[in-house]
Amino acid sequence: MLNILQKICACLAIGLLVTGCEKNIPDIDTVYPVIETDGTNSFPVQCSRVKRGEPFVFKATFSDNRQLGAFSLDIHHNFDHHTHSTEVSNCQTDKVKVPKNPFLFIKSFDIPANLTRFEASQQIDIPADIDPGDYHFLIRLTDQEGWQTIKGISFKIE
Amino acid sequence: MKGIITYIMLMSGLALEPDNVFGQKLSGRVEDQKGNPLKGATIALLPANLMTISDSNGRYSLEGVVKGKHTLYITFVGLVPIRYPVVVGSADLVLHPLVMTEEVRLLQEVRIKKPGTPYPGNKSPLSNNLVDRDYLMSNLGGSLMQSMEKLPGIKAISIGSGNAKPLIRGLGFNQIVVIENGIRHEGQQWGADHGLEIDQFSVGKVEIIKGPSSFLYGSEAIGGAVNIVAPPVPALKSVGGALTSIGKSNNGLYGGSFNLYARQSHFFVDARITWQGYGDYRVPTDTTFVYDYAVALKKNRIRNTAGTEQGLHLRSGWISESYQSIFQVSKTYSNSGFFANAHGLEPRNVDTEVHDRFTRDILLPSQRVSHFKIINQSEIGIGKDFLNLELGYQRNYRQEHSQYVNHGFMPPRYPVAQPGDQNLEREYDKTVWSANLKTNLERGRHRVTIGTSGERQQNTIGGWGFLIPSFSQWTASFFAFNQITFNKRLSIQNAMRFDYGSITIQEYKDWFKSYPESGEGDYLTRANSISRTFKSLNWSLGLSYTRESVFLKVNAGTGFRMPIAKELAANGVNYHYFRYEKGDSTLSAEKSIQLDLGIGFRGKKLSLELTPYFNFFPNYIYLNPSPAHDYYYGAGNQVFNYAQSRVMRYGSELQVKYNILQSLRISLAGEYLYTRQLSGAKQGYALPFSPPTTALVRVRYSPKWDAFKDPYFTLDYRLTSPQDRIVPPEQRTPGYQLFSFSAGGKFKMKHQFVALSLQVQNLLNTRYLNHLSFYRLIGLPEQGRNLILSATIPFEWKKKG
Repeated sequence: MLNILQKICACLAIGLLVTGCEKNIPDIDTVYPVIETDGTNSFPVQCSRVKRGEPFVFKATFSDNRQLGAFSLDIHHNFDHHTHSTEVSNCQTDKVKVPKNPFLFIKSFDIPANLTRFEASQQIDIPADIDPGDYHFLIRLTDQEGWQTIKGISFKIE
Repeated sequence: MKGIITYIMLMSGLALEPDNVFGQKLSGRVEDQKGNPLKGATIALLPANLMTISDSNGRYSLEGVVKGKHTLYITFVGLVPIRYPVVVGSADLVLHPLVMTEEVRLLQEVRIKKPGTPYPGNKSPLSNNLVDRDYLMSNLGGSLMQSMEKLPGIKAISIGSGNAKPLIRGLGFNQIVVIENGIRHEGQQWGADHGLEIDQFSVGKVEIIKGPSSFLYGSEAIGGAVNIVAPPVPALKSVGGALTSIGKSNNGLYGGSFNLYARQSHFFVDARITWQGYGDYRVPTDTTFVYDYAVALKKNRIRNTAGTEQGLHLRSGWISESYQSIFQVSKTYSNSGFFANAHGLEPRNVDTEVHDRFTRDILLPSQRVSHFKIINQSEIGIGKDFLNLELGYQRNYRQEHSQYVNHGFMPPRYPVAQPGDQNLEREYDKTVWSANLKTNLERGRHRVTIGTSGERQQNTIGGWGFLIPSFSQWTASFFAFNQITFNKRLSIQNAMRFDYGSITIQEYKDWFKSYPESGEGDYLTRANSISRTFKSLNWSLGLSYTRESVFLKVNAGTGFRMPIAKELAANGVNYHYFRYEKGDSTLSAEKSIQLDLGIGFRGKKLSLELTPYFNFFPNYIYLNPSPAHDYYYGAGNQVFNYAQSRVMRYGSELQVKYNILQSLRISLAGEYLYTRQLSGAKQGYALPFSPPTTALVRVRYSPKWDAFKDPYFTLDYRLTSPQDRIVPPEQRTPGYQLFSFSAGGKFKMKHQFVALSLQVQNLLNTRYLNHLSFYRLIGLPEQGRNLILSATIPFEWKKKG
């Protein structure tokens, strides 16, 4: 009986060793890229205002521990206050209204290869005939491994 | 089932006895599953109140038993008590050996040896867990899988407090098969927010096979199988029922399940109705962050997670010694809300005033799921052999309701001319026909099962959101298993199965136009019409060896899975996760090869079981996030491609039980899993939904009290390690410690035992994140302290003999 017990204990010990020791962890990236929109040059920021018929320049700083991937921008109306905002502070919003000709802007951009830091700057034209009101500005940033950070900003088109 | 045959054999034998006025002698033998005699079992005959103890050969005899109906009640510590109706005639009666089992506690069933499942109980070379109704009732969670989460290697992927799907050794979704009463349970396995449509009150026992079981159940059983079996059929000439009521403090759940049954000699009916309603569940925090967006939770409640659940079951059949046929009709329906501040992973601003007015109302977003099923199981005995036929029809109908939000290029307002409800985001309608035919043959050392099975599925979709196209598929298979028993110690099992399947996917076009950077807008094709066929030959070879208290199991086997519709044909944005998912119509069927080992020791005081495994996938199907965004098809979202890579997984479960005293036991259940992608874009990364290492220490005190039957007090301590092995878009999850407490037992009320159970889950109201929860990605903590109370009151109408 004791013999059997010993054997089992030995097997257990081996089993635990085999399963319990994590082999040299491969060097994999588990860090999300970062969108910085709090710099002095960043635009738009939470609660910014822009004007119809006038272009504005989107500015933000992107960074990653290894290599940045790509980014995309998305502007859509928030007349129903569905809030994609990922910012803590809430802006003064207009009344809920039904969209007639809301502004929609979707565009994806490449980031030059092998960068860990990138200053994004992109002119965006706003047509003069779109509905003014509350809008969302959604920034999606990836790194080479496919980690994605989303930042949503509430802003107003006047 | 096995019990019925015993009853019948017994009854037919007794009818021949002549009359006699004096008391008779009743004798027999008690043995365990391995056929060893059980010494010291308590044998009581009711209502005569005769009692004796079995001797070292497991033999017992009772003198002076009067003519008439009696119930033999046999108990043995750690084994399932046997309640066995006996009709004593005018002569002495020698009963067949009665086998006491340790696997399940089923009061109404007596087991005799009869071929049933191919590899029953301990003889299975694959690692498995078996739980019964008592276990489920004393560990009752929000849903069936949540009630089974304490088993090593088993986890639940949960959404909210009442929906979860199984995860076996880190594999889930379409890599696991759920069988209910012999028929594959088909729902919407592919989605993390879809639960398992099973009423846990209607469950008799659940067997979980950990490892590739494609040789038993075909495609999708690549990671394991959950086999749900209905309660045993009612005892001979009985009429009765039971009422179970349940209450939970955390989400204010109350509900119950009512069961009625009746049986003549051959015909029986068993009906059950279940209803449960619950409110928004509570977490130990008043603010949660959906991304960085702060969401205040009124009174710690997760807004709009209330729900209701209904179940209706009817079972009826004819049973005789050589033939039986049982029909089961069931319907489950649930209506439950999704966390209103996040639909999928999308943060939402909600009208908190409307939502917080009531805690039990279900507003948008919400889901309604109904599952209807008809099953017939028939068995014909031909001499020692059996022929089984199982036929099934089921319909899974699911609707997801949500306010219309114009994602991407969708029109800003839901068009008036567009048919359909503007609050119906998605709809899935699945109809399945299935048939299994198999025969059990016993020839000398060999027990052979040969069979064939087929399934036909029709899937259609609806709603303004799109995730998965309509498709139809059919599968057919042939299989054979053989169990060779050399002696009491050694048996070998081998199996072979051939599966053939075909899937036809229907084209899906957007109902709205998307606009390229220049040029005209167009209705995009989100799924191409595709037809694929797959075939696979799978095998399994294993042995089990028992010597005294030591046992050893070795098994090697393969599994496979046909790619599902979205893996082959997806080409659209999943707004649950904000990702553009792109299928690959050239994917091959997923294959897996696994080596399983099980070593253990079962002593009087100490028992140990270690079940390590090694698993390799040459072509694991994986949704790979790329750095790119797609403008036209993806509406600016990140591109995720379905791809295949080589994957290695290994791990182990460990179970140790030690009886300090007869009434005090301490046990440990641990599990560990390591996964790694060996090729492809995510080489070196783990697989998604990798469960962290956990250990569960349990102290159980089960004293012997006169007033209270089978009392128990249990304290659980669960230690979960952090999970740092993640893959996009997962997040690291910190480790945590949880305590829970449970107590229960049965007290006698008239002639019946009323079962009570109390549980306190998350005793210290710990705030923690579950790596496997749907809401993990938005950082929502798990349910806080939860007090669960349930009572089962059985009743029986007895005919006067």
